[in-house]
Amino acid sequence: MNFTPPDFFPAILEMLTLGMTCLVMLVYLFLDQKNRGITYFLTQITLLGTAVVAISLHGSPEVITFDGSFILNSQAILLKIFILLSVSFVLMYSRTYIRENDILHGEFYLLVLFSVLGMEVLVSAYSFLTLYLGLEIFSLPLYALIALKGNKPVCQEAAIKYFIMGAIASGFLLYGISLIYGACQSFNIHEIISMMSLSIHTEPLLLTLGLVFMSAGALFKLGIAPFHMWVPDVYEGSPNAMTLLIATAPKLAGFALLTHILVEALPVLFPQWQYLLIAVALLSMAVGNIIAIVQDNIKRMLAYSSIANMGYMLLGLIAGTPRGYGAALFYMIIYVVMSLGAFGVITMLSRKGFELEKVDDFKGLNTRNPWLAFMMLLILFSMAGVPPSAGFFAKVGVLEALVKVNIVWLPAVALVFAIIGAYYYLRVVKVMYFDEPLEKTPVILESFDTQLAISINGLAVFFLGLFPTTLIELCQQAFLA
Amino acid sequence: MIEKLIFYVFAALLIGSATMVIVSRQSVRAAFFLIVAFCASAVLWMLLSAEFLALLLIFVYVGAVMTLFMFVVMMLNLDQESLQEKFVRYLPFAVLLVALMVGVLVYAMKPGHLGELGLAISPHPSADYSNTKALGLLLYTHYVYAFELAAVILLIAIVAAIGLTHREKSRNKRQRIDAQLAATKADRLQILQLEAEK
Amino acid sequence: MELLKTLSLLVVIAPLVGAAGAGLFCRQVSKQFAHRLTIALMGFSLILSLYVACLVIGQDQSYEGVLYLWGQSGKLTLNVGFLIDNLTACMMVTVTFVSFLVHIYSIGYMAEDGGYQRFFSYISLFTFFMLMLVTANNFLQLFFGWEGVGLASYLLIGFWFNRESANQGSFKAFLVNRVGDFGFVVGIAGVLGYFGSLDYIPVFAAIPGVAEANTLIPGTSWSVISFIGFFLFVGAMAKSAQMPLHVWLPESMEGPTPISALIHAATMVTAGVFMVARLSPLYQYTPSMQSFILIIGATGALFTGLIAIVQNDIKRVVAYSTLSQLGYMMAAAGVSAYAASIFHLMTHAAFKALLFLGAGSVILAMHHDQDLRHMGGLRKQMPITYFTFLIGTLALCAIPPFSGFFSKDAIIEAVHSSQIGGASYAYVCVVLGSFVTAFYSFRALFLAFHGEGRMSHEAKHHVKESPWVVWLPLVLLAIPSVIQGYMMVGPMLFSEPSYLGNSITVLTQNNVLMRMGEEFRGGFHMILESFGNFPLWFAILGAFSAWIAYVKKPELPPLCVKRFKWLYTILIHKYGFDDFNDWFFVRGGQRTAKLMYQGDARIIDDFFVNGAGRLITWCSATARRLQTGYIYHYAFVMLLGLMALLVWLMFR
Repeated sequence: MNFTPPDFFPAILEMLTLGMTCLVMLVYLFLDQKNRGITYFLTQITLLGTAVVAISLHGSPEVITFDGSFILNSQAILLKIFILLSVSFVLMYSRTYIRENDILHGEFYLLVLFSVLGMEVLVSAYSFLTLYLGLEIFSLPLYALIALKGNKPVCQEAAIKYFIMGAIASGFLLYGISLIYGACQSFNIHEIISMMSLSIHTEPLLLTLGLVFMSAGALFKLGIAPFHMWVPDVYEGSPNAMTLLIATAPKLAGFALLTHILVEALPVLFPQWQYLLIAVALLSMAVGNIIAIVQDNIKRMLAYSSIANMGYMLLGLIAGTPRGYGAALFYMIIYVVMSLGAFGVITMLSRKGFELEKVDDFKGLNTRNPWLAFMMLLILFSMAGVPPSAGFFAKVGVLEALVKVNIVWLPAVALVFAIIGAYYYLRVVKVMYFDEPLEKTPVILESFDTQLAISINGLAVFFLGLFPTTLIELCQQAFLA
Repeated sequence: MIEKLIFYVFAALLIGSATMVIVSRQSVRAAFFLIVAFCASAVLWMLLSAEFLALLLIFVYVGAVMTLFMFVVMMLNLDQESLQEKFVRYLPFAVLLVALMVGVLVYAMKPGHLGELGLAISPHPSADYSNTKALGLLLYTHYVYAFELAAVILLIAIVAAIGLTHREKSRNKRQRIDAQLAATKADRLQILQLEAEK
Repeated sequence: MELLKTLSLLVVIAPLVGAAGAGLFCRQVSKQFAHRLTIALMGFSLILSLYVACLVIGQDQSYEGVLYLWGQSGKLTLNVGFLIDNLTACMMVTVTFVSFLVHIYSIGYMAEDGGYQRFFSYISLFTFFMLMLVTANNFLQLFFGWEGVGLASYLLIGFWFNRESANQGSFKAFLVNRVGDFGFVVGIAGVLGYFGSLDYIPVFAAIPGVAEANTLIPGTSWSVISFIGFFLFVGAMAKSAQMPLHVWLPESMEGPTPISALIHAATMVTAGVFMVARLSPLYQYTPSMQSFILIIGATGALFTGLIAIVQNDIKRVVAYSTLSQLGYMMAAAGVSAYAASIFHLMTHAAFKALLFLGAGSVILAMHHDQDLRHMGGLRKQMPITYFTFLIGTLALCAIPPFSGFFSKDAIIEAVHSSQIGGASYAYVCVVLGSFVTAFYSFRALFLAFHGEGRMSHEAKHHVKESPWVVWLPLVLLAIPSVIQGYMMVGPMLFSEPSYLGNSITVLTQNNVLMRMGEEFRGGFHMILESFGNFPLWFAILGAFSAWIAYVKKPELPPLCVKRFKWLYTILIHKYGFDDFNDWFFVRGGQRTAKLMYQGDARIIDDFFVNGAGRLITWCSATARRLQTGYIYHYAFVMLLGLMALLVWLMFR
């Protein structure tokens, strides 16, 4: 049997991450209690270093390696950059929280790094096998992370729920994969495409069956209705730092999962999955926006907001054009940036023994820390889609892509839901600026890097609204190749 | 002919025991049925001449995993009755869903759909053919990336398990000075207004 | 060219940085830091804009280009860009120069104010917007600056926001400007709709070809150019306080005095004049609009000046004089003497800022008493202020050889030699205006600085000269008020190429300045010649009358008031504009609104709006019950959803 070693270089990001993870593990094991803070810095170095390498890789031509199970293209690199950066921000925001809440440091950082590795694998997967492995690698640490905080029953409940629901979704995905395999005799996306274009007599019903099962698995990860039920409970039950984590980077990975399945592997079934996505997008926007209104727990509210936002993101995919895919990617990135900021503020405001959860806890934030309140204001305005924030351009992008392919009724409905949605975002703004604070003590952020991070985050939302073109073009290019 | 007979017998056994895993009243019994299901599927693998996988299933799952599992189940002593109650209550929905699902699958998957291109059973290999070797060759060359990833999953499982169970704080008793200093009167002392007895 | 772009960018951005630095951290930074930062950046901006002016005017460079693409929608591209030419350069220097001095002046004037940092942040912010306005290369950016200066003006008029009158004043300014902005937006929409672009260059290039077109709105026969020109001019009328949209400017005097000098005399209110000059390629092709501008301007020049005579608040006198001078500028723009208009804008910026800051200095000495009737005899205690105020007054009254003389005389002469409709009426107005100007200016001067002090005995002892940060800007502004006119009259108006180069467009048949240029033989000769003309003698007569009425025979004015009761009543009511607005717009609006409100509250509010809200809340409250928290419910929903999708997609 002839065997030529595959080209390992394209997987450099994954190898870097894994290598550094092992290093962090060893360092953590052999350090005594006092010096364990170093794991934080090592983790940040890993994330940022990998991000730098990823940025330097951007623009290189598309490579497929490991016998067609791994792909590195501009889309994958773009997603990886944002995954790495967003996780880095997550860690910056939650550093104090982790220290104060008796969460085991080393395990926390290790599991986060593993999860990042899984996301990278998923983003670069070009076969259903690696796709599934990536999904599991990034999900398993998340389940564990949620339950990591002491013996709190709420967290453990959330973890169990997430785990069991996730297992069911994985089951869907695997079953779908097996059906597609049955029809096409391959796991490789490349081979599946050629198979489909070749054999006209491939049974469409079977493929549709596989498609629905696989997309159900992917839609679950994104928290899209009707596979969204876990989202509010898990967001609410998780410790704030974990909520911050699961609400951000995994969404990008979930986007990659969905696009790998639909856009790359099964473009032939576009008429089928277009209808599927229209149905779930409408349901998500309706469920998310409407139920969010009555929530007085801010984490739950943002959970429903995420369901709604994922619905908007799908609109880009529904268009079925490279422009639409690009708009969806842009929407996703902007959503993650906003979500990062919103949950970041929540995490920062939580202290030892105090989890910020209620909308009322934001009362009078402006008098307690005006700058933080202002950053939150920018983020909320952007989520509500107020021009010229980034959120506005993200929404315009997906809606425009739909109009371009002559689907007008869907954007109209989406706009109605967006208006309903504006209510609950602006309610938080009102509470922050016009209500009397429950406690008068000013909020002081201890560490400088946290302050810097939230400032960058909030202003990024603002400036991406003023100068959206570069990022939009990057997103468009990712799907044009 | 005999192969077909074996297949149908063990396939029926597999489905039957898998059903029993879900519906049986006691978790110990459910675990036993799971072992039966593993054994039955090992036989099915054997029929496909995948001896290595079949034996692996028996050694690893039946021999190691399930034994551990049995210990845990026996020690936990779950409340059987309440689980049972809900099971009956939601049974109609479940039956409906299952029926619907089976209907759809049967409608979509006609036997011809899957077999067309290459599911014909390969010719009997020669005597010196090693199943294990073939698998190994494939695993360490073609699927090396996936193989490594699977190893990572195991590593994650170890780290996660340790993280979830190993709690150094609860085990050794230490004086927590910060908690003592932070304590206030309200934490320790509760003043009750008791009704005067007549 | 790249150099010019970078320089201009720095000029524009520096004030913004200052504003952000002093404003965003206004609680953290000290007073010293706030003014040092903003003044340093302003000074930087001033020096660079002088350099830009040297490059543009001296070496005849120019820049037109896009800084970045802001948005794109269909064929329409919205850019942020610069058009740096001679006109822009003149405006940049004027704006940064006055702004710089006002910054310095404010150190003294605002020294004891609680909102010190906020104040510096606002004026820097204003300067940024003003520079954006003048450097714009397209209508949208012009509008951005336009709205931005409006915002800054609103914030600054209402700076002392716990004063009721200040709030009212800022509110009024904002509302009146809304009227103008509405016109402006319609104008911009017209440009976009007809020319399909918002950039100056392509639009201007297309204008001569469509001068006769009448097709903007189907079924009407309005000339496109006149239509657009009219609505854009409505915007200019509000911003430059032309009659009848001038009512906000006197009220704006509720803001701190440096603001009155910077925004409501030197820069912002001249934005309308600047706009008309910038859009000269457009207005050249619409004679009807030119006449309209001329008549509005000339009317304002005379009649608002008359009101100034009866005002007793020193700042209001100067404010009405500003209205009158803006009228002169507009009149000049109306007769196509754009260069004269911009020239007057620049000289006026200097001497009017001087007058305002001088008035501010007086007010400071009087402990914020602004009433002329309580002043008098301040000449001895405040010599520097007196002297500079006198220079400002002489310049305002167009007495040679002060700067105002050259620019104003050029305007009067231009109006005289123009032949467009309404020119003779306008000529009468502007000539009589020069008498009125001199009368009220000297009245204010005499009342404040001459005669006996009418303040309380105690207050008299406290009056003293202001600190150097206050009088230094006065002196610095007095210098251009004296020499600027003489030095610039030739190159600005009559030489070829002039300071304005080819940044403005004048058709040959309209070019009054060129005709006047044929007889021009230098500034000195112009002074000599003026002794043979009406306007100068009118001005001198005005000053002399004021001397008689307020110094020689102080018993005369009350007598006149008694005699000409009707005239006095008209003037004190400011021709009834305010009363009319109050009766028609405010109360009429309120009455209509009340009527609509009752219908609205019952039908729309209760049924539709609140009903929809209630419906959604109800849906929401119902739907949240589905979220039970049980895993098997969730799993059931997932399966159900999956099955529904399966069945739907397979049997579709």
